[in-house]
Amino acid sequence: MNETQPGQGGRAGDGGPQLTRRGFLRKGAAAVGGAAAVAAAVSPLRDLPGDDLPTFEKFFQRHYKEMTPAEKEAVLRRVEREVKEREGVEVRVGDPPPLTGVEFVYALNISRCIGCRKCVHACVKENNLSRSPEIQYIRVLKMEKGSIDLETSDHHYDPPVVPEHDSYYMPVQCHQCKKPPCVKACPVEATWQEPDGITVIDYDWCIGCRYCEAACPYWARRFNFAAPEVPAGQLNPDMGYLSNRPRAKGVMEKCTYCLHRTRRGRMPACVEVCPTGSRKFGNVLDPDSEVSYILRQKRVFILKEEVGTVPRFFYYFDERGSRYHEPIAPVEPGTADGEAGT
Amino acid sequence: MKRYLTFVWDCVRLSFVGDWRYHLWMTILTVVALLGLYAYCQQLVHGLVTTGMTDQVSWGLYIANFTYLVGLAAAAAMLVIPVYVYRNMHLHDVVVFGELLAVAVITMCLLFVTVDLGRPDRALHLFRRFNFPISMLTWDVIALNGYLLLNLHICGYLLYCAYCGRQPARAFYVPFVFIAIVWAVSIHTVTAFLYVGFGGRPFWNSAIIAPRFLASAFAAGPAFIVLTLQIVRRVTRHRVTDDALFTLRRIMQVAMIINIFLLGCEVFTEFYTDSAHVASARYLYFGLHGRSALVPWIWTAIAFNLLATFLLVLPASRALRTLNTACVLAIVGIWIEKGMGLIVPAFVPTPLGEVVEYFPTWGEIMVCLGIWAFGLLLYTIFVRISVPVLAGELTYEKRYGVQAP
Amino acid sequence: MGKSPAEPTMTFARVDQVRAVAVPLVLFVLAGLLATGPWPFVSPVAPATLVPVWATDPTPVRRPTLKPEIQLAGFTYRCSDCHRLFPSPAETTRSLTQHAHIVLKHGINTRCFNCHHLTNRDVYVDDWGREIPADQPQLVCAKCHGPVYRDWLHGSHGRSDGYWDTMRGPQARRKCIECHDPHQPPFPPMPPAPPPNTLRMGGQTRREDEHRAEDPLRIYRRMLAPDQGDDASISDDYRAMSAEVDP
Repeated sequence: MNETQPGQGGRAGDGGPQLTRRGFLRKGAAAVGGAAAVAAAVSPLRDLPGDDLPTFEKFFQRHYKEMTPAEKEAVLRRVEREVKEREGVEVRVGDPPPLTGVEFVYALNISRCIGCRKCVHACVKENNLSRSPEIQYIRVLKMEKGSIDLETSDHHYDPPVVPEHDSYYMPVQCHQCKKPPCVKACPVEATWQEPDGITVIDYDWCIGCRYCEAACPYWARRFNFAAPEVPAGQLNPDMGYLSNRPRAKGVMEKCTYCLHRTRRGRMPACVEVCPTGSRKFGNVLDPDSEVSYILRQKRVFILKEEVGTVPRFFYYFDERGSRYHEPIAPVEPGTADGEAGT
Repeated sequence: MKRYLTFVWDCVRLSFVGDWRYHLWMTILTVVALLGLYAYCQQLVHGLVTTGMTDQVSWGLYIANFTYLVGLAAAAAMLVIPVYVYRNMHLHDVVVFGELLAVAVITMCLLFVTVDLGRPDRALHLFRRFNFPISMLTWDVIALNGYLLLNLHICGYLLYCAYCGRQPARAFYVPFVFIAIVWAVSIHTVTAFLYVGFGGRPFWNSAIIAPRFLASAFAAGPAFIVLTLQIVRRVTRHRVTDDALFTLRRIMQVAMIINIFLLGCEVFTEFYTDSAHVASARYLYFGLHGRSALVPWIWTAIAFNLLATFLLVLPASRALRTLNTACVLAIVGIWIEKGMGLIVPAFVPTPLGEVVEYFPTWGEIMVCLGIWAFGLLLYTIFVRISVPVLAGELTYEKRYGVQAP
Repeated sequence: MGKSPAEPTMTFARVDQVRAVAVPLVLFVLAGLLATGPWPFVSPVAPATLVPVWATDPTPVRRPTLKPEIQLAGFTYRCSDCHRLFPSPAETTRSLTQHAHIVLKHGINTRCFNCHHLTNRDVYVDDWGREIPADQPQLVCAKCHGPVYRDWLHGSHGRSDGYWDTMRGPQARRKCIECHDPHQPPFPPMPPAPPPNTLRMGGQTRREDEHRAEDPLRIYRRMLAPDQGDDASISDDYRAMSAEVDP
């Protein structure tokens, strides 16, 4: 090549002339141009939101399972402080430990589900899910009678009233599987299964590779593609570190059976709001619980059983649903029928 | 040590020196790479919403390119097999170009994975809690980085010895070469196993994915090398014999035929079974519920692959123009089928039966082009350095006038 | 192949000068272009869907008082206030003069006194004519709806609000008439809450594939009711049955 030729605009080759002023200027101009171009290329980073930059404590924060109780306390207070600064709302972030002798199981009566989607929105409100972009942990599938093939399902039904003729409804959310493929997939152990059966995510540990999202057979995991937006007035201040405290962009999240509620003995939000009582929740290790009764007595099945995930979410059906009757007048929701004694 | 630093410094200086075509090429690549960097910085600010990925299709162009390039990296080192195992000396001089391509391409792979992360600032978490051996991604991290180090060592050692004007000691590189052969197969197998192990994605949950990966990699890799060697032949003083190209052609012939055969196996299994599990294949080849964005792509890819195979099998492909056409067809066809024909259809329909299509955004495309440009930049620099060094034109002795200590 | 790489087409010095200027120039132009922030990101995120307040309201659809009372013109009366004075016929085949808005569509249960006590209107009646207090409506329903009542007792039918762990807090089992209108018990249809609108969802109108057009169930439905398209249903039998009784 040409490296040995003089005046070549390069620095001295083997034994060629020393660096000339012209050569220096040329090289200098190119170098400065290069540096300027690189600086301009990274200039969008000046718009990086302040709380996106990792702070010293966040960078060195340990994995949830490795934190000492004192460290956890500090982290909880930090999260509360951040929410106060960002949203101006006082919140309480707790970290309820799993209860002993408890394995949470969910049962859903598809004879009774009418597909009203109240569970979806109650969950959104309870768990501080992003409104835009919209993230919803629960997806209600309208299924054709006669088929359990999920590919025939319609997720976007919006008729004047539900339930619709010849359809049944199957809400799907995280099944907290006993053999979770998402936990297998995660390369940094940001998601794991707790002793009470709930698969949780450490939002401060997740690297956002979305491998778990590809692994889930029930499409139960969500990713924050953009910074999640929750209107400040709708923030639920009762938060759990592993469940509904505010997440950042770039991390995964999913249904946690409202562990900030259920580990304190309360029902998840979706169970409480269901108007037909289709959703049942409880401790399967307790033989007197509703879910134990259902698993013993009802015709129970699980979704995609052949995939071998052993979910803790059971669908069941009983004697009759609200299908075989004459159409009756719908009620406007939110109004109660306050007639005498009845 | 001082000698090593001198070596590095001389290489750096040499990479800025060249004729006008070299500088034009490098400037174009630099511009594209910087535009890609700009797009990536926008992605860092706003999040992955700048891409076309969604919860329904959560992997897209980045992972598609990553998959393709892992194959390319694996195949680059497969040039080594004819030389070191079968003593086919036609390829002896070009082995180093294959290894250097492997280094550049693996760097591109690592960059593609990094830009796909939602929180790249937490990449160090991989070192603090590593879910090995359960998570296939951890295997992939080890495989790719190990392969990078292997090839860096082999090429670096050979170049450094040439620079110092001494014969490389076989013990320092030949065992690594053989390890690299096995490792090359394993990086692509491990990448295939990333996808294969999911029961919830029946499109991927097939044993044929890994063999198909290898077959298509061994077709696309040599195709890339064939084109690169002809460029090297044209712009440098390095001699590349036609025999080398024809040996690569042989490798491509076999690999493409196996690839087509495996494609046939896959297509038959899917469409003869015709169960609900083949919804993704149906989406890819024919469209599903009225959505058919990928259909023209896959049929183009199949046409390209068939045409490339046909051309390669003909004796007419001994003529370089036909061979080059076949190579380009193979490279593009395999890129489409491995990228859009493998990654995206597994997400359509979602495990719950929803159909949401994926369309890459301009920001995403720009980042991909930027990484490709950066990889080509690296490879050009490597070739630029290695040709004179290996030819003995740039040595310590010539630079400093004394024998290397 | 042509000239060797060491002989450019233009004179050496000329090319060299052009190159020496062009490369930094290109880089500075690029720097200037990128510094202006071209191609700003336009967010595809849709604004939040308006969600009605009732969509997150866990209050049951009915809020019965569970007391034998009625509100008339702003006053509260016990049922027996009127029904002690004015006798009601034992059979109920004529139209109601009071409580006219009650429509009895309880399937084959067309007799008021199956549930209501014959003489004491403050209570319900069981199978042996004994009184069931007004705040225990589930005992009335249990007379006929045995399996559902059994399920309700075990918790698998109907709503329970509050705590799953009754050691930590109360659990309120909703009684039958808090969801079911006793005179028209089927749970009434209601409008659904808004459907999902996720990021870059695309239009979600379905077009059925021919692939499943010859599904046997669809063929069967078309056979049953050719004029209804795919909406045929075996509920026609029930429809016919309930049309025989008086409203």
